[in-house]
Amino acid sequence: MSAHEPFGNRVGAIDRRAFLAIGGATVTAALLGCDSSGPPRLESALALAQRGNERVERWLFRHRSEDRIPAGAHLSGAAFPQYYVSDTVPVWDENARGVWKLEVSGAVRRPLQLTLDDLLKLPRTSQRVDHYCVEGWNARAQWMGVRVSDLARAAGATADAQYVDFQSFDSDYHESWDMASAMHPQTLVAYAMDRRFLSVGHGAPARVHSPVKLGYKNTKYLTRVVFLPERNGGYWSDRGYEWYAGT
Amino acid sequence: MMATLRKRTHWIVRVTHWVNVLALPLMVASGLRIFNAYPAFARKGETFCCYPLEGHPIPAGFTFGGWLAGARHWHFAVMWILVVNALVYLGFIYQHGEWRDLAPARGDLRSAREMIKFYLFARRDHPPQGKHNALQKSAYFAMPIVAAVIVLSGIAIWKPVQLRWLTLLFGGYVWARYVHFVAMVVLVLLVLGHVFMVFAVDPYSLRSMVTGWYDEDRSPEARNARPFYHLFRRRTVVASPSSSPSDI
Repeated sequence: MSAHEPFGNRVGAIDRRAFLAIGGATVTAALLGCDSSGPPRLESALALAQRGNERVERWLFRHRSEDRIPAGAHLSGAAFPQYYVSDTVPVWDENARGVWKLEVSGAVRRPLQLTLDDLLKLPRTSQRVDHYCVEGWNARAQWMGVRVSDLARAAGATADAQYVDFQSFDSDYHESWDMASAMHPQTLVAYAMDRRFLSVGHGAPARVHSPVKLGYKNTKYLTRVVFLPERNGGYWSDRGYEWYAGT
Repeated sequence: MMATLRKRTHWIVRVTHWVNVLALPLMVASGLRIFNAYPAFARKGETFCCYPLEGHPIPAGFTFGGWLAGARHWHFAVMWILVVNALVYLGFIYQHGEWRDLAPARGDLRSAREMIKFYLFARRDHPPQGKHNALQKSAYFAMPIVAAVIVLSGIAIWKPVQLRWLTLLFGGYVWARYVHFVAMVVLVLLVLGHVFMVFAVDPYSLRSMVTGWYDEDRSPEARNARPFYHLFRRRTVVASPSSSPSDI
């Protein structure tokens, strides 16, 4: 029976262990506390994990996996957030910059300069899909525009085109994509949202919209679609957000 | 008389346990930092039925990662540690037969009721038990199940387009995110209850979770231990003459 043992000493032994456990928990709590971002030495480990995750995400990626929302689903309408990085909403000033044109260039055989009218003449795709923001919310809208894959075909993208950089006139905002995601049938250069031409808050005159990447990859206020042999980072990707950001 | 020491906890169980102790707080706190970027569940332009704190962020002291991108990097890195750790643990207890100590058995409901009666002083003696009592068993059995729900709902909100079937299984993106959150809360409550009971009822089990050795004479059943019983017990034993070292 336990009563025959020096219970007091043994309790002391347990207390040391308890002390160690409590001490360990305190260290963990201190590490966690104050909204810390963790020891900087571990950043290379996090970068390694991110590269591994990108490999998994690319392996999972299928063109036939599409976002679809129920036929009668409520669209977000005016509640769809508007967002840009410039101090004021970017507006294309025709007097200063001339007629807006979308440049399709880089690793292509026939570089293009497309006015909005030219875009409207290209094969039109309309889709009601989700928009997934990195912050965790999602929103629904109907988008109309031209598939990036159709633009690639029209411009004759070459074998060197492994990445696509979507550039804008919203300061220096741009985001580059892997070719597979850009060629997904739901990746559009969109000029209309909910059956109207894009408003300035939603990226007029044209923007990228696709459910296959998080919102920040979907460049608004689009000016150039540049096919590249290498990735070219991006506005948020260069500021520490995940580059691949697939959904 | 020597203590009845018995090897109780295999090193694989101990290592995976302590990996959880380190990784789980990182995962929960980085998840809460991600949640704070949009501390709500409603899709834009809609309302959500079932979260009363819609729009209220989690206090920063409970979060980890510093900012949204940092928290995401941690969350998407530590997830691999936890998943691999869980698979090692589950694979081991399956191979080694230890799942039998955790799987629900006939009579568990009755034993659980008896344990509650004992804790509430409605029963004098500790109900007889195996390795774990019925309440412990149900908690330890529930943890991997809740964890699986967390992992699957997490994958569903990570890949709502590529793995749309999985997201739909949870009722769509908004509900998958809600399930991920609620299941996390359930797991945290189970863990907090577990940690409380270790210190309050069976602090000697800390030894077996570190060294593997457990003193059967000090089991809650042997000591007839209710929460914090050992604190009272110490006082009575110190007064007892039989507690002198010469008795060993």
